[in-house]
Amino acid sequence: MSERQTNTLDTPDNSDTSDQRSTHKADAAATADSLRTDANPDKTSLTRTPTVELKDFADTARAGQAPPPPRPATKLQLVSRSTQIKEASLASLFFLCAFFAVLGVMLIFAFVAWRAFPITHEIGLWNFLTGTKWSVAEGTFGAVPFIVGSLVMTGGSLVFGVPLAVLTAVFMSEVASPRANKIIRPAVELLAGIPSVVVGFFGVVVIVPIVANLVGGAGFGPLTGWIVLSIMIMPTITTLSEDALNSIPMGIREASYAMGATKWQTIWKVVIPAAKLGIIDASILGMGRAIGETMAVLMVVGNAPQIFAGISAPISTMTSQIVLEMGYSSGVHRTALFGLGAILFLISMSLVLTVRLLSREHRKKTRKVKKGNTA
Amino acid sequence: MSKSLHQNSNSDQLANSAQATSEGRTTGMQVLRQLQEEHRQSESGLGKAHFYNRVALGVLWGATGITIGLLAIILIYVIVNGIGVITPEFIFTWPRGVNAEGGIWPTIIATLYSTGLAMAIATPIAVLAAVYLAEYAKQGKIVKTIRFAADSLASVPSIVMGLFALAFFVETLHIPLSMLAAALGLSLLMLPIIMRATEEAIRAVPRYIRWGSYGMGATKWQTVSRVVIPTATPRIITGLILALARAIGETAVVFYTMGIAINMPIVPIDSGRSMSVHLYLMAVEGINLPAAYGTAFLLLVIILVLNLSARWISKRYSRIDGA
Amino acid sequence: MPGRLKNATIACQLLVTLVLLAVVFSLSACVGGHFESTIVVSGSTTLLPIAEVAAQEFEAIHPEYNVLVSGMGTSAGIEAVGITGTADIGTASRELRGDEQALNLIEIPVAYDGIAVIVHPTNPINDLTVAQVRDIFTGAVKNWSELGGDDLPIVIINRDEASGTRSAFASSVMDGQTFEINSVVLPGTGQVREVVSRTPEAIGYISVGFVEPRHVDTIVKALSLNGIYADDENIISGEYPIARALHFLTNGVPTGAVRQYIQFVLSPQVQQGAVRDAGFLPVTADDLERFHSGGGY
Repeated sequence: MSERQTNTLDTPDNSDTSDQRSTHKADAAATADSLRTDANPDKTSLTRTPTVELKDFADTARAGQAPPPPRPATKLQLVSRSTQIKEASLASLFFLCAFFAVLGVMLIFAFVAWRAFPITHEIGLWNFLTGTKWSVAEGTFGAVPFIVGSLVMTGGSLVFGVPLAVLTAVFMSEVASPRANKIIRPAVELLAGIPSVVVGFFGVVVIVPIVANLVGGAGFGPLTGWIVLSIMIMPTITTLSEDALNSIPMGIREASYAMGATKWQTIWKVVIPAAKLGIIDASILGMGRAIGETMAVLMVVGNAPQIFAGISAPISTMTSQIVLEMGYSSGVHRTALFGLGAILFLISMSLVLTVRLLSREHRKKTRKVKKGNTA
Repeated sequence: MSKSLHQNSNSDQLANSAQATSEGRTTGMQVLRQLQEEHRQSESGLGKAHFYNRVALGVLWGATGITIGLLAIILIYVIVNGIGVITPEFIFTWPRGVNAEGGIWPTIIATLYSTGLAMAIATPIAVLAAVYLAEYAKQGKIVKTIRFAADSLASVPSIVMGLFALAFFVETLHIPLSMLAAALGLSLLMLPIIMRATEEAIRAVPRYIRWGSYGMGATKWQTVSRVVIPTATPRIITGLILALARAIGETAVVFYTMGIAINMPIVPIDSGRSMSVHLYLMAVEGINLPAAYGTAFLLLVIILVLNLSARWISKRYSRIDGA
Repeated sequence: MPGRLKNATIACQLLVTLVLLAVVFSLSACVGGHFESTIVVSGSTTLLPIAEVAAQEFEAIHPEYNVLVSGMGTSAGIEAVGITGTADIGTASRELRGDEQALNLIEIPVAYDGIAVIVHPTNPINDLTVAQVRDIFTGAVKNWSELGGDDLPIVIINRDEASGTRSAFASSVMDGQTFEINSVVLPGTGQVREVVSRTPEAIGYISVGFVEPRHVDTIVKALSLNGIYADDENIISGEYPIARALHFLTNGVPTGAVRQYIQFVLSPQVQQGAVRDAGFLPVTADDLERFHSGGGY
């Protein structure tokens, strides 16, 4: 216990080498959690009197023993009623703020869905979801070209982006010296910070002409989009994968080296499999970023509402179509654009859910393993 | 694979590994055997494994090189083309004429105005929400729901956020296309970022500090407001700065909420054009590319400075913590 | 330790200041004062730059007026001036359609625009008929050799559906037929020009004024249509086949500040300045007379 506490003392320090840091992190988190549950067994009673407050210490002092039943607080009351009321109302204010996040998500979905709802009678949900033709002039609105477009763009950018990102993350966590990481890590974070409109601008003035020279045509299309999108998603995947790799205990690596494995064998057969889930999580989040990416894509894909017709034929995505047409749309057209927004929302929600379920599954598994070991 | 290796690495299981190999499972011992075999087969002593090792490490170097290279190319390209455009006149004067020659002053103000306003809206809510999650909440269903909602909010595509802001703030609440409407949309974007940073900052505050406060008879709120939050503030500010950087570069949210025309915003219900939207319009109109390069350069510089100052703050305070 | 605490206190005060700022900001959101006389102009993004420049110059002469210009597209502008009444002037880069004609809006032409069909300078073709242009844009003709050019597949550069240029082009050229779907859709005039200037197979269309703009050193070639060049005279006379008028829309005959602003937009200062700079043609003497006589709309 005492050893753990010393760990907590210097948690905010993140300047030492990556391996030490990761163990620090994991330990600190665990300690914080265990301490929290130790110290505050009754966080539900928000209007606590000092009696209960003192009880916290009593509890930690004789940890393990069953807590005594809470005494009625009427007798020994060190804090006035008004203070209690103040504490309680503050607590509920905080809860309200926290609930804002829930409210925000629900409002976003409610409003986008509400605006998209008339699709069911104006276009027909089935016609909208399976229609392959989008023509404002004719009043036909089929979402398939954009759904396919978004998927093609996302898939392609993952093919380009994930290997590059994971390899960079592996380099940062396994190969690079702390000094090299002092340059690489800020660089990756900076790359993540470049606004999409700047990357899109770079794509238009630099990448589009290059692609036009390579494959002919005007240079707008999926190939250009893939390059631009992978630049956009790579930092996200790199950062998250690096976190996953750093959280692998050093002991596993040492065991591998002790058996004479080379660095690469250790990385490929030990470290990456151990961090597999974290890397998959990172890729899914990168996927979410790719599918929601708007300005950069809009500027380089050519925006033709056609189903994927080759890597240099113009294509359009859900996000770019919304930006392109929202400003002047009205009536059914606007409804259909909100419909695309609703599809985007549902896709990003399901990606978050997938990550959540994956980590839950993982936790279950590790718990089972632990139980098996102790038994 | 790694699990089996990990489990088998303790000594009593090592003995069983020969049996495990015969069952067809890959174990640490097997890897070792393979290695020894390869070693024996190679005459020079530098075996296939070492060759692969070198190649693979080379690939890792290459990948990282590409990553850094991409950043460098974008930065250098924008800087080289943009720096010549930057003059006091470009920063501090209005765009003139139909091709937006001259400066971009109103767009800079509109950007800072809307993001500042968004931060002012999002910060109190996000910080208090994080206080609730880290200090008050019972780890249970509600916290899980809130955390899931925050994660979801963070992953909502920015254009959907823009659609929502248009449908809700502008068309339902009848806030005109303005700084305020854009700021409300942006604050939704910043909320989860600030929340997460604050929560992590609060959780990193050592427990014993709180005990000291409680021990002196402080109430929960006193402890939180006078001990926990002040201690966590440097990290909270780092989070705020990063959220600000994100909002400054955002385009899709403000495209349909701020208005597009160039205007100098005075009150929050004034419309305007942000730097990011200006850059987009200059880029697609392509008539005044120097202005586009200049705007891109300024945007990058602002974001660069914010990112670096966030790093500086967290570094400086972690040093103090360590001392 | 005390130093650290002091730092933390300062930081905390910073945070509190931020919170206070939030409150002040939100309060000032509710108060917000404005000028006595505000003119709201809303609509077409094509006319946005002209309206904006005119507004700045107008405000310089008449500081008592405040002109608010916003661009959300022609349809939004028509709705704002004709239905919701949130704008005093709507700007339109296309003719009124269907229901919109029943709104009794007054159309005041403020500029003319011809649309040039442009190709790469190395393209041997110099003249096409309107029917040939239509065949290219519907996808019926897919190779330049079918029109007497080189053996290259045609790359169509189109504008987005929000564009007034596109709807003007469609109404004069396309004859109700739809555009070829496999065409690059670009959201801006400048981009269309830039792409055509470096793509030998490309064809696109832009406002005549942007064929040879200032500051741009790339070259595109404007084709003559049915043998008629897109010059000022041919466009205003209506002889050149793809032309449009850009309008200001008002609900009823404009009076007061709104009338003063429109009058300013029609003055030579704006017509020879911003309108020319934006690549459009000034209004004719007939248009001016109609406006000044106050009626005839």
